[in-house]
Amino acid sequence: MMDISDLIKSISLFKPETTLIVTFMLAMILDMAFKKSKNIAGYIAIAGLVIAGIFLFQQTGVNYKAFANLLVIDSFGQFMKFIVLMSSLIIIVFSFFSNELHNAHTKLGEYYTLIIGMTFGMFLLVGSANLIMIYVAIETMSISSYVLAGYTREVKRASEASLKYVIFGAVSSGIMIYGISILFGLTGSLNLFEINQFLSVNNVATLPLLLSGLMILSGFGYKISAVPFHFWTPDVYEGAPVTITAYLSVASKAAGFAVLLRFFKTGLLDSVPGTSEAWQLLGNIDWHYVIAVLAVLTMTLGNLVAVWQTNMKRLLAYSSIAHAGYLLMAVSVMNDNGVSAVLIYFVFYMLMNLGAFFVVQLIANKLDSENIDEYNGLGYRSPVLAVCMTVFLISLAGLPPTSGFIGKLYVFSSVINSGYIWLAIIGVLNSVVSLYYYAKIIRNMYLRDVESAKTKLVFSPVTIAIVLMLAIPSLLFGVYFTPIVEWANYSMNIFVGN
Amino acid sequence: MDLITIAFYFFSALTIVFGAVVVFTKNIMHAAFSLLFAFFGIAGLYVLLSADFLAITQIMIYIGGILVLIIFGVMLTTRITGVDVKTGKIGKIQIGIAGLLTVLIAATLIMIFSTSKWYLADSKPLDSTVNEIGTALLTNYLLAFEAASMLLLIAIVGAAFIARKKH
Repeated sequence: MMDISDLIKSISLFKPETTLIVTFMLAMILDMAFKKSKNIAGYIAIAGLVIAGIFLFQQTGVNYKAFANLLVIDSFGQFMKFIVLMSSLIIIVFSFFSNELHNAHTKLGEYYTLIIGMTFGMFLLVGSANLIMIYVAIETMSISSYVLAGYTREVKRASEASLKYVIFGAVSSGIMIYGISILFGLTGSLNLFEINQFLSVNNVATLPLLLSGLMILSGFGYKISAVPFHFWTPDVYEGAPVTITAYLSVASKAAGFAVLLRFFKTGLLDSVPGTSEAWQLLGNIDWHYVIAVLAVLTMTLGNLVAVWQTNMKRLLAYSSIAHAGYLLMAVSVMNDNGVSAVLIYFVFYMLMNLGAFFVVQLIANKLDSENIDEYNGLGYRSPVLAVCMTVFLISLAGLPPTSGFIGKLYVFSSVINSGYIWLAIIGVLNSVVSLYYYAKIIRNMYLRDVESAKTKLVFSPVTIAIVLMLAIPSLLFGVYFTPIVEWANYSMNIFVGN
Repeated sequence: MDLITIAFYFFSALTIVFGAVVVFTKNIMHAAFSLLFAFFGIAGLYVLLSADFLAITQIMIYIGGILVLIIFGVMLTTRITGVDVKTGKIGKIQIGIAGLLTVLIAATLIMIFSTSKWYLADSKPLDSTVNEIGTALLTNYLLAFEAASMLLLIAIVGAAFIARKKH
């Protein structure tokens, strides 16, 4: 039973989320009050996110099980929440410059409001330590993202994207909640800490535990678009507004990975031999291999299918599936080094992926197309943008001297240190495949249509500045990555609470 | 067989049979009305588990609210009864794979349910659960309860946006 002092402390640690809720309401009300101003809700959202970020920063070093163990506040959660927060902020800024959103609607109040709602859902998901909370949080973020994916609903493919997203989402939540019910039936608890204690004392049959685990994984796998739960990804990414596509590919993946790691470490970690070198998991199931197989499937399918894509959004969709595969590889080693690698990778992935999507958005604003052939001669039509795009793509491919290389380096070294050489080799082979399709875009930009007679594309200085603000760190972190690595190492301990 | 066992089989059969009708019928009205009986069967099962509050909620919200809404939705959309739910054809291979998967999953589930050792809570004397649920919602599950209200608010905003005419 929760006592009052716990409640008071919990509420004081819930300030970032409370700020988001207040922002949600304010954005909605003020959007109605100021009918003239188009982006008022967006400015409020930015202010709210910044304040939430300050409150989040104040929680540095706190390890606490809040609200009667429903929510965990720890440095791992803080790190992931910062990723979510940063990408929400960047996406809102992107949205100010999106032609497709502004053409479809005279006002974007609900759009910014729902982004805040989704951020709130992801914040909850990152901290949840109870299966009910996990479910409620996943639904909160899903429902906001269903609406956002179809936001330009007069465009046919956006409606289609939204509908597909809803149907796949409903099925995977259904499977997940079925798995939760089996786990509850086995252990008699929904709380990850209590499940952990029950499993460490009692012997639970392997098959039901495996089945329930797989079913719960399908819910998380859907959020991070891991194969075989990825079917929605290409269509939704292609149909949704570019800003939302970028948002789904970074923030909702971050939240999905956070809950995946927390589920394993909090729910299944055997704390008796507990070292950070390798987590001993309860039950006789080799979860390493389950996740490793998922990782191999995810990155291989993502990379191989991406090769054939001609639409930039679809290509980046498959590339984001492949990146989920690399990240799963780091999850599969199941130790604190793996967690740290996931965190490091996410910072860089956020920069480069959001950057690439923003370039796609800017090009689509001018040319009204996302076809890869439209990028022919871009190096001459808009040199700055093309250089930045090249940086993002090289970074996504994981070549030095970009930050993507450092991210991949940490992922692969965590895999090799744990002795999964075969997994690392598959990962490297995949990176080679990915190089092909990323290089294809660079080739189009610089080697095709060289003597272009087409007019130069002129972008406003503000948008160019935003692209540079993403491109320069992508390069800079490639050579000076110590702060990020230190921050990740500081945050890699998921609080299991003893 | 005592009365409770008979009642259990009755409600289970009710749920399964009408659940199957919902899935397999082509007429959307039939599906909607069958859903009513399936929900009722589930409410009965809750009563047998002495989950009184849940049973009443099931009847009031699902049958009284959601189902009536579904039926209204079906009736208010243009062509009322003659609408086929299924359109298009499904290939034999897909049916084969789906069938195989279904049988496989069903077999695994049946095996698990019959052989596993399930967690058994201490049996308590029969009493109303409303009080306990209310206390739990405002203490141990306070956050989940409040988060659910936020979830509903987001859903309403989203639904209002989708339903609104273009402006």
